[in-house]
Amino acid sequence: MAVAQLSHLTYTYPGAAEPALRDVCLEVEEGLTLVAGPSGGGKSTLLRVFNGLIPHFHGGRIAGSAWVDGLDVVATPTRHLARNVGFVFQDPELQTVYNVVDREVAFGLENIGLPPHEMAARVDEAVHAAGVAHLLGRTVRTLSGGERQRVALASALAMRPSLVLLDEPTSQLDPDGAAMVLAAVMSMVGQGRHAIVSEHRLDRLLRMARGLVLVAGGTVNTADPGTWRNQPSPARPSRQAPAGVEAWSLQRVSAGFDGRIVLDTIDLAGRSGEVVALSGPNGGGKTTLLRLIAGGLAPLAGTVERRPGRIAYLPQNPTALLHRPTVRDEVRLTLDRAGESERPEAVLEELGLLSVADRYPRDLSCGERQRTALAAVLGGTPRLVLLDEPTRGMDVAARDALVGFVARLRDRGAAIVLATHDADLRTALADRVVSVGGGKALETAMEAVRA
Amino acid sequence: MNARAVAAWSAACIFIVLSTTNPVYKATVLAAALTALAAGVGLRRLRGLLAGVLLISSFAVLLNFVSAHLGTTVLYKLPEQIPALGGPYTLEALAFGATGGLTVGAAILAAAPFSLLLASHEVMDALPAPLSRTGAAIAASLNLVPAVAASFVQVTEAQRLRGWRPRGPRSWSEIIVPVVLTSVEGSIQLAESMEARGFGSGPRTAVKPGRLQRSDWLLVGASAAALATFVISQVAGWATQWSAYPTLTLPSIDPRPLAACMLLFVPVLVWRSRN
Repeated sequence: MAVAQLSHLTYTYPGAAEPALRDVCLEVEEGLTLVAGPSGGGKSTLLRVFNGLIPHFHGGRIAGSAWVDGLDVVATPTRHLARNVGFVFQDPELQTVYNVVDREVAFGLENIGLPPHEMAARVDEAVHAAGVAHLLGRTVRTLSGGERQRVALASALAMRPSLVLLDEPTSQLDPDGAAMVLAAVMSMVGQGRHAIVSEHRLDRLLRMARGLVLVAGGTVNTADPGTWRNQPSPARPSRQAPAGVEAWSLQRVSAGFDGRIVLDTIDLAGRSGEVVALSGPNGGGKTTLLRLIAGGLAPLAGTVERRPGRIAYLPQNPTALLHRPTVRDEVRLTLDRAGESERPEAVLEELGLLSVADRYPRDLSCGERQRTALAAVLGGTPRLVLLDEPTRGMDVAARDALVGFVARLRDRGAAIVLATHDADLRTALADRVVSVGGGKALETAMEAVRA
Repeated sequence: MNARAVAAWSAACIFIVLSTTNPVYKATVLAAALTALAAGVGLRRLRGLLAGVLLISSFAVLLNFVSAHLGTTVLYKLPEQIPALGGPYTLEALAFGATGGLTVGAAILAAAPFSLLLASHEVMDALPAPLSRTGAAIAASLNLVPAVAASFVQVTEAQRLRGWRPRGPRSWSEIIVPVVLTSVEGSIQLAESMEARGFGSGPRTAVKPGRLQRSDWLLVGASAAALATFVISQVAGWATQWSAYPTLTLPSIDPRPLAACMLLFVPVLVWRSRN
């Protein structure tokens, strides 16, 4: 039996020339359905149709019909559909209303006017279903990303929806956090609930999936999850030039905030033409280490040295950089400032962004924005490249393009430091892997990384 | 801790400090607010707030000192020809300004427990039911504040490495615009999340409406007694007003309104448990 049905649905965002979804006909069966496809293909848009955020929240033009749990989505506002359809968003930090877990989980119940004496039982049921019962009473800001996402899942489940939508719920998380969330999703499906999950890395969910929906360029097709094969990991680009002289170093460096030591007496160095990958849990100190190397953060003790030359730095939230009217302008700004002769179009082509060169960067999908920010910092010939989670929200094709781009910079002699949870990226690019956590930075043997 | 009890105490403090011109009573309320906060959150967490209060209060003192050329005890004079600043600078104007500084400082410290001692949902619980939805929206907005501050640091750092340098007000647009846009986008995502959880679908309820505990009742009782005693003192003429002009005199003190102010020290006993 279908839990959701779209019939000849076409949707265009306000002000957009082209539809984001075209003539979609789809029946979503019970159990777990996965949504896959390239960045900017329409996955998030499709998910938002199921709970009515499209068209009720975002506006725009819609044609065709959409039914979920017997409700006409086009005629039913999202706030009323909320009783039937739960939604977990990508960013765990931007979906929290209250600062205490119990209240956060109960927020939806308050909104639908559930009598207070019934709430405790509903909250208890939801936190057990999402595996976060042990977090009751905790302050939300003290939770890890994975814990926050599971609290968001509990908040959705508290409404007892017949369908739960999860939009790339693990894209912002470290491997442990992602594993926590996926385990909670699988447990939820195992308890007989229905879910639609959009993800780039489907490996762990495929064996439980009843349906697979492929979204690309606004068109939607279905596939058999049993026959789906993940795309292979990117090949390791061959090295064109050997690593050179020492380009940056930290000598007995300590760093921290608010009286808390994050890195304690670290010694580390990297050479030009070398890729150093930083791994470790969220909050372990990878970003702090990158900021120290970049010079954005002063050490509490010790010395940081780097060879002169341009630094390309991609911050953790790269879209925060974007402020120019077009993608092309973002790249041009950096190249002009650095006095580089390279054309913006060359950078955009290499990162697969030429088709959106004249679009407003903040109108793009999460993955496309990420690539725009990368293009904006990586153009030209930087001498030191510092990238904080560069593949966040990226599809496989975009990641492969990034691997090629970074390898080219490396071969031109740039010293590269990547802070990343992406094991495929590390395997494809890293010459050395440094595990950062517990205040320390320890080298990991490359054999262990490849294994 | 119940936000309504805290509100009763804050209201009593603010009423007294605004309704009297007597610096002794104002100073007593200021001392009560300061010690109560120190008991509740510790002096270390108060440092930033105290610095801000000191700055604002100093400004109030200075403003009156340089603008009110009244009083008989002249400290020095500037030529009358200097617009606004010219004229005598008096001890009375300085004293009156100091009273204003006490008022501002006491009022800020009396309101500070709402942000320092209470979580946003506790404040929201204290709102009447018709304001519950507004309260939820405010609580959600407050959650975005740390993200905006973090975004400012991150954007400034990243743009510097991209070649940005502060060169006049216009150059700051490269920082301000992305920070504002990111904040707006964050707000939109939060609004999406709230809508997706039924916000605005009808009358709201609240989980476990906060009930007053014994310590809360003690605080409410003390605040009410302080307020009532002070009002009676004013009506009966025990709490005499004070003016610095034309000649500086010592303010008169009566034990009854002073006792009313002393009642505002009760949180020192009640809030100690939160420290």
